[in-house]
Amino acid sequence: MTDLLLPLLLALPAAGALGLLVAPPRRAERVAVRAGLAVTTATFLVAVWAVAADAATDVEWVPTLGLRFHLGVDGVSSPLLLMTCGLTALCMAYLLRVRPEAGRLRALVGLLLLLEVGMVGTFVALDLLLFFVFFEVVLVPMWFVIAQWGDDSVPGGRRRAANVFILYTLLGSVVMLVGILLVGLHAGTFDLVELADRQGADMSRGIQVLAFLALGLGFAVKTPMWPLHTWLPDAHTAAPTVGSVLLAGVLLKMGTYGFVRVALPIVPEGAEAVAPYLGALAVVGIVYGSLACLAQTDLKRLIAFSSVSHMGFVLLGISTLTPVGVNGALYANIAHGLITGLLFFLVGAIKDRHHTASIEILGGGLYERMPRLGGLLAFAAVASLGLPGLAGFWGEMLVLLGAFDPASGLNRPYYLVLMVLAGTGVVLTTTYFASVLRRVAQGTSFQAWRDAVLMRDASRFELLVWAPIVALVVVLGLWPGWLLDASDPVVQALLSAQRVIVN
Amino acid sequence: MPLLMPVVLAGLLFSIGAYGVLARRNAILVLMSVELMLNAVNINLVAFDVWLRDELLAGQVFTLFVITIAAAEVGLGLAIVLLVFRQRETSSLDQLTELHEPDPEADAATDAAPEPVQERAS
Amino acid sequence: MTAVYVALGAPFVAAVVGLLGGRTWPRLVVPVAVAGASVAFLSALVLAGRSVAGDLYESARLADVPTGGPPIGIDLRVDGLAALVSVAVGAVALAVQVYSIGYLKGDPRYSSYAALVSLFTAAMLLVVFADDLMVLLVGWEVMGVCSYFLIGHHWEQEGSRASAVKALVVTRLGDVGFLFGIFLLATTVGSFSIGQVLGFDRWPEHTATIATLLLLCGVVGKSAQFPLHTWLPDAMAGPTPISALIHAATMVAAGIYLVARLFDVFLLAPATLAVMAVIACITMLGGALAALGQDDIKRVLAYSTVSQLAYMLAALSVGSAVAAEFHLLTHAAFKALLFLAAGSVIHAVGTNLMPDMGGLRRLMPVTFATMTVGLLALAGVPPFAGFFSKEAVLGAAEETAVHHEGPAYAWTGWLVLVVGLVTVAVTAAYVARLWLMTFFDRTRSPVAAHESSPVMRWPLVLLAVPTVLLGLVGLRDEWLPDWAAATVLTVGGADTLSAEQEGVAQETLHIAPLTSALSVALAVVGATAVWLAWRRAPASDPTAELRQRRALEHAFFVDDLYDRAFVQPVRLATRAVGWADDEVVGEAVRDTGRGTSRLSEWVSRAQGSTVQAYLTGLLAGVLLLVAGVVTFAS
Repeated sequence: MTDLLLPLLLALPAAGALGLLVAPPRRAERVAVRAGLAVTTATFLVAVWAVAADAATDVEWVPTLGLRFHLGVDGVSSPLLLMTCGLTALCMAYLLRVRPEAGRLRALVGLLLLLEVGMVGTFVALDLLLFFVFFEVVLVPMWFVIAQWGDDSVPGGRRRAANVFILYTLLGSVVMLVGILLVGLHAGTFDLVELADRQGADMSRGIQVLAFLALGLGFAVKTPMWPLHTWLPDAHTAAPTVGSVLLAGVLLKMGTYGFVRVALPIVPEGAEAVAPYLGALAVVGIVYGSLACLAQTDLKRLIAFSSVSHMGFVLLGISTLTPVGVNGALYANIAHGLITGLLFFLVGAIKDRHHTASIEILGGGLYERMPRLGGLLAFAAVASLGLPGLAGFWGEMLVLLGAFDPASGLNRPYYLVLMVLAGTGVVLTTTYFASVLRRVAQGTSFQAWRDAVLMRDASRFELLVWAPIVALVVVLGLWPGWLLDASDPVVQALLSAQRVIVN
Repeated sequence: MPLLMPVVLAGLLFSIGAYGVLARRNAILVLMSVELMLNAVNINLVAFDVWLRDELLAGQVFTLFVITIAAAEVGLGLAIVLLVFRQRETSSLDQLTELHEPDPEADAATDAAPEPVQERAS
Repeated sequence: MTAVYVALGAPFVAAVVGLLGGRTWPRLVVPVAVAGASVAFLSALVLAGRSVAGDLYESARLADVPTGGPPIGIDLRVDGLAALVSVAVGAVALAVQVYSIGYLKGDPRYSSYAALVSLFTAAMLLVVFADDLMVLLVGWEVMGVCSYFLIGHHWEQEGSRASAVKALVVTRLGDVGFLFGIFLLATTVGSFSIGQVLGFDRWPEHTATIATLLLLCGVVGKSAQFPLHTWLPDAMAGPTPISALIHAATMVAAGIYLVARLFDVFLLAPATLAVMAVIACITMLGGALAALGQDDIKRVLAYSTVSQLAYMLAALSVGSAVAAEFHLLTHAAFKALLFLAAGSVIHAVGTNLMPDMGGLRRLMPVTFATMTVGLLALAGVPPFAGFFSKEAVLGAAEETAVHHEGPAYAWTGWLVLVVGLVTVAVTAAYVARLWLMTFFDRTRSPVAAHESSPVMRWPLVLLAVPTVLLGLVGLRDEWLPDWAAATVLTVGGADTLSAEQEGVAQETLHIAPLTSALSVALAVVGATAVWLAWRRAPASDPTAELRQRRALEHAFFVDDLYDRAFVQPVRLATRAVGWADDEVVGEAVRDTGRGTSRLSEWVSRAQGSTVQAYLTGLLAGVLLLVAGVVTFAS
């Protein structure tokens, strides 16, 4: 029974999308969101069941190529899986009351369900080519979501942003495919579990470095790593609220998950060789992202750059090649997904009400006009700057601890410098979030907004949709053991080659 | 007679034909030049056949093939040129360009890169 | 341990209830907030009682957190030191909550204010009761954020907004160094547990020094010492009860508490102690001098706080944690009193500026009396509490300097002693100035001032009691050390300090008669000088004639220096990055796009010509192939 759970997990959203396609158009349009909510809730429940039952599926797929339809969940992928299903369900719930201007809900819900198939598949796939397939599946639905339902205020802007997004990510993926083929052909198998067990035993160092570079490039574009990050701000500014939430909350996680699941265990010598450069680029991303945030005047763009900065922390943790660092990276991954998802929900709500996300036009006084929304914005900002007691802190702290004491094959003074620079990044992050709150939430409102009729505070419905995220952020902040208990054993196993080098 | 003479003749005829195909604009002249090239090839075939004293007379048989096909081809070609002339009042090759690649304009749809979003700070 | 859980849990629950339900049930706000603070205070009293009655040491582990490296434990502990400090915290928190009922009457955001004060109380108690460095850090930082929100309470005003951000960023800067110090400790010891850190005895060379120097960054930030002191005077933009709670008694004392808690590690690093002494002396004298030049009554008190905290740090730097703790407790009492009294004055007169006050002695008698008591304690006049604690500090310095007792170098003892004595004179000077300008001569304020409401008066009277009596604790040299024992637990469980430490702390209070006499004399000199200057021109500021007035008022222009050295470059970098992201990185991406288009145009030229051009190419290719075959086939 349990080996049908994961294929069911993939089939449910696909069936939902198919159902919406074949149903009669007018009827489908009316029930689209409710059907979508039902499907995503069911998917979430199946995901919980699968995680609890430790589900796995391993079936022969294409014998001549050595491909297997291998799916499974473990401590690293289960939090991401649950977060994905949860966020998608919340997005569907959000759509119940908050209709996008472009309408055509049937198509939007169908695309989001297809997106979910891709996202879920990436996190449960345990075969390299299967992983690649699902990695790519998310691109086309996301293109449509941005290009058709995105922000239309700049003519052609959403189309351009969607184009950059898909072409850039696709370019990275092509390079990644080269890496995958390199690994698969040299090792003789595409199975992730087997490759992780072997820890690159039968691949020469040169091949490993090459493979890591190729795989790394594909993941780096998705992460996004500086300097391959420029697609993100435009994509986020143009995307609709649900698109931004899923983009920031899930799609960005696929890149770093790929590093931990695919690149680190399979080509450990390659990882060791490239890790210092990865760390340097990560730290540049942290500081650069923070400084760029201070220069932005569009709220969504600002949060996009803050994502670049936070994912820089995740990459730094990965580049330390220690269990502490990678645990921190995974924790920061989850925390960022939740917190930035919440931030985009909030900014989307602000944008819907004011019809702009520009800080200059919004002015200050959000606390005064909409205290609940302002309070939640303050909460999300404080969580995002890594306040201890909320989810963001543990990830950042463990990453810095990992950089303080990196794997023994790495240059310690170099990593200490990286750690100090990342520390300045922490201070800069504090500065820009405090600055955002000061410019948007505090202060007095413009008269125009005060006179506007439709300025409602966050409705009870919206608060209900956001409450699970808020609760999780607090719980993960006060009880880090939950996540770390699950991820630590898996991370130790994935990094076992590094520890052999230690001994 | 020595082999050199028919070969040189064939070469000369071929070159003249090639020049005609590549440099003349009138479609009929191009067809005539193609005929010249084909006949040059014919001369070559016969000359080498005799020089090699082939038992099967392959060269001469092949020449007959070429003559037949050239005749068919010219008939077809002239018919097409006539039809084109009736439609367009011209038989100049320079003016028959429908299958060309159009001149690349500033095409927004194919431009993969975005312009910066207007509201960004400088 | 139940008392600990209750002390932590009550204010936290009060905070959550207040934040979530404050707007919906406004009548619950006051009872919930006051109840939270009272429960915490009573639990703290229970713990203090147990500590006075006998040895108190307990600890508990709530959860294990595996990290892949040194493990974190959610651990709590309580001992004499924690109990006494928690009493101070609870008392001041309760006083502030009660006082705020009157001070913030009618404020629309009172519910979130009270909830944040409760959250702050819970966070400070977490710092006090933590037995794990990470748990301590959680409390430490939550306090910082609560402080940010509370300073920015009047966010309609630009001053409040700016000060709140400044406080947050400056303390965060110190906290990054603090975090690195924690890392060093944890990776050396193999665990984040404070108990294990204190009991560790295999410190590699220099590790203790580097770790303590890094920890000092956090202390300097949180306790507003030079060079991270600039946030505290500006934080006075917040409501006065907040200044009393956070910036006098609790948050700023957290840094001092941390050093006292980890004192065994600091004792291994005399170099760090020397650095601490230097920082403390600069801050002590600088803060006092700056206080002399301020016109805003709250800013005088702010700089005074900075200066008094430096006294505590100085006591720690000469190896006497007991003297520091003593001064911490007395300072909490009299500074909170002074701030609340100042709040009372401001509330009555409607302005913070002393030149606009005057003659309030007759109009506000209770405030006048209690504030006088507080000011006398601040100046170090016997028999008020401040005298005894300040003498404890100076006595400890004398022990180090003259008798070479304690872990610090002798010169640090001399430095602290001399600077401390000079500062006593300056302290008395600014105290006298404040007293005279606010309460004496005729009223310069246009507003008709009157005594404040009972809800605001009673906390003043209650705080005046310990201000007067707390000094008596110092009469017997061993009382305080016994009660405030910071118990050290080695790994084996024994209750002793490790024998291999380089320096041993000064375990008892020393109050040296000569130093005490000298300090009282200096205080009199300082106060008299100001009084004489005031007598000449009663209506104006006694220090108005001073040539260095402007430098004092701007606190030696440190803020402007920081602005030019840090803020402007960051702004420049921000603009540069914003420009570069679009023009350099973004342009590179767009160029690849354009490059691809141009490449495709170039290739498509092969498609753009006549049939004859194709044939030419064909012919040329055939010729090349033939030539190739002929050349290479032989």
